[in-house]
Amino acid sequence: MTPPLDRRQFLLGASAIAAGSVLAACSSGSKGTAATSAGAAASGPSVAPASGGAVTTEKISLNYWAWGTPQDPFVAAWNKANPNIQVKHTDAGGGTDSSAKLLTAARAGDAPDAALVEYTTLPAMIVGNVATDITQYVSSLKGSFSEGTWGQTTFNGAIYGVPQDVGPMVLVYNEARFTQLGVKPPTTWAEFATVAEQVRKADKNTYLATFSPAEFGNFAGLSQQAGGQWWKVDGENWTVGINDDASLKVADFWQDLIDRDLVSVEALFTPEYNKQLNAGQILSWPSALWAPGVIYGAAPSQAGKWAMSRFPQWTAGDDKVAYQGGSAVVVTSSAKHPAEAAQFAAFINSSAAGAQIQLSTGQYPASVVGQQAAIKSAPPVLMPQQKDFWKLASEISAQTIPSISWGPNVNVASSTFQDAMKAAIANKTKLRDALAVTQKAVVADMAKTGFKVTG
Amino acid sequence: MTTNSGVSTAVRATELRPLPRARNGRRRNTFAPYVLLSPALLLYAVFLLIPIGYAIYLSFQGLRLVAGGAFGKRQQVFVGFDNYHTTLADPEFYSGFGRLAIYGLIAVPVTLGLALLFALLIDHPKTRAKSFSRTAIFIPYAVPGVVASLLWGFMYLPSTSPFSYISKTMGGGSIPFLNLPLLFPSVANIAIWGGVGFNMIIIYTALRAVPADIYESARIDGASEWQIALRIKIPLVAPALVLTGLFSLIGTLQVYGEPTTLSPMTADITQTWVPLMKIYRDAFTRDDLPLASAASVLLALGIVVVSVLLLLATQRRAFGGNS
Repeated sequence: MTPPLDRRQFLLGASAIAAGSVLAACSSGSKGTAATSAGAAASGPSVAPASGGAVTTEKISLNYWAWGTPQDPFVAAWNKANPNIQVKHTDAGGGTDSSAKLLTAARAGDAPDAALVEYTTLPAMIVGNVATDITQYVSSLKGSFSEGTWGQTTFNGAIYGVPQDVGPMVLVYNEARFTQLGVKPPTTWAEFATVAEQVRKADKNTYLATFSPAEFGNFAGLSQQAGGQWWKVDGENWTVGINDDASLKVADFWQDLIDRDLVSVEALFTPEYNKQLNAGQILSWPSALWAPGVIYGAAPSQAGKWAMSRFPQWTAGDDKVAYQGGSAVVVTSSAKHPAEAAQFAAFINSSAAGAQIQLSTGQYPASVVGQQAAIKSAPPVLMPQQKDFWKLASEISAQTIPSISWGPNVNVASSTFQDAMKAAIANKTKLRDALAVTQKAVVADMAKTGFKVTG
Repeated sequence: MTTNSGVSTAVRATELRPLPRARNGRRRNTFAPYVLLSPALLLYAVFLLIPIGYAIYLSFQGLRLVAGGAFGKRQQVFVGFDNYHTTLADPEFYSGFGRLAIYGLIAVPVTLGLALLFALLIDHPKTRAKSFSRTAIFIPYAVPGVVASLLWGFMYLPSTSPFSYISKTMGGGSIPFLNLPLLFPSVANIAIWGGVGFNMIIIYTALRAVPADIYESARIDGASEWQIALRIKIPLVAPALVLTGLFSLIGTLQVYGEPTTLSPMTADITQTWVPLMKIYRDAFTRDDLPLASAASVLLALGIVVVSVLLLLATQRRAFGGNS
């Protein structure tokens, strides 16, 4: 039982509270990045013994930061084959968290030797002096990847990473409900709108799909498929085209669906969304090849009811496919043994042994050898009835657009995009205006940093 | 990110402390107090002064392309007041404070009002099951903020909300808890739910410290319990009310966890909804620590100013003018 506080005790108490709150402010909550990379449907990995280990006399150790299920078996396989180059794996968080930490660590000269980075943040890693030019170590790997995939790690002729997984865009849909409602998977975006209308007519509680204002990577993919070039580099000069005609066309397309109440508008994988998914009230997700694992994670009861098809096209008969998600392994500026780190990246991402590990953990490999091996794998658990899943996947993967490039401030673009889209939805303003806001912020940020930029 | 509003107040408190005097009038062992103080001062310097200094230093830096080129390397250079200028010119920074004000205007009075009400009720001589009620009201404070936000988030989302279920069963629609204008009360409610118990304990403790003979003489004079509460108890616990008020105010200025956790569930909470969320976004999503440092310094200054103003406005009343 204390007497009422006097002034001095009170001030001391107040400063103590303030000190405590500083600590609270410093501890950052880690944000889950929904649907960025591989959705994992894990089974026990079968590690094939690695052959052709690196030759070195002294014993060295490498640090490797990466997220996702295949990483531990990757490292185990490498360490077994290379007793003199031991790799230590650290999970530093998903794509967004991990890249923020890499930038800080590299500035302190304390980054790991190798790290997994999403394709979208790779340019930011280059200008942030995290990723180093590894052309001299890995140029011979060019033939191990498709042109579109390899292009994602090559900038101005220099190679900055070895692709690990890719996410060619596909449509996953609730086949059982489609049959029940008498609709077919759309092959064009015009058909997509028609099917959305039919679904609404057939069942007023059901939507064909969801528009989420937070899905930056998805929208970027949709725009790229339509011909959008969000960032383009030509020598010294950047061009930013986030509100180019193709992207505005995509915005207007979704605007129309939203205005006519033909798609639901909400964040993905909230308890709300998951409930609708389980109840068969959200019937499709235009996303990427890793989607079955993610849907299964949220709605395991739907296994056997869903299927995958080619992405809808703007022009009937086209086969344009963009990427959503996917990542590559970079060697950092802090690496003391860049050659060995590059060798490690090449082994896990382009060898047959590495591909087997990826497939057994549900990841779609970036390498050609991995994609060929995938054809013989069992379909994802969400759609065991779709026997041609991986065959279709490799066909789609071969058709990806080769000229996709990302800019040095995708983080600014994605955070501005998400808030502008949220505001557009909340205030019932136009989605295309949100693209203009994003464009303006991205150009201003690049100019401030000192890039030569037009847009 | 490492800034502190209590610096000036703590320094003042230290100055107020009278120097120890030697018993026989002669000063000796003058270094002893410093030796004894050194662990505290050292920790204070390492964990507060140096980080604050670094944050201020960072706020004048910027990451810029030095050599140029499409893939040139960014380097940390001195940029003067650029970051302060950017922060003060950003309408989102002010909107964040605007939203914070609405949130605070709901959260602070309701938290303090309920805390005072519960403390007075528990202190009422005829109340039964006192320790049970006290614990029951206090328990939400032990629930981590993120967990509380998730828990309430489930109760707000239309498909999982029991309230919306009831309203739908009765023929209405679902209740849009996470959309404007209900969003502010919904977010504030999480803080109120968690904060009432803690504040109640502080006020209740102060109430228990009031000598019982004051109440006795009041009763002899014919005062009702209602009059005792209003005319004796509330004025006597005024210092505790100021203290809890200041805690709540500082808590309001630092709100971050609840809206961040609810953010993925609604389009109405942006990444810059409150100032701390903007600071986090700039620092860790956009890799612009210098800009975030500038905003942190401004926010910390704001907290100091508001705290001092609150103290000046209340101290004479609450502490009877003695300092």
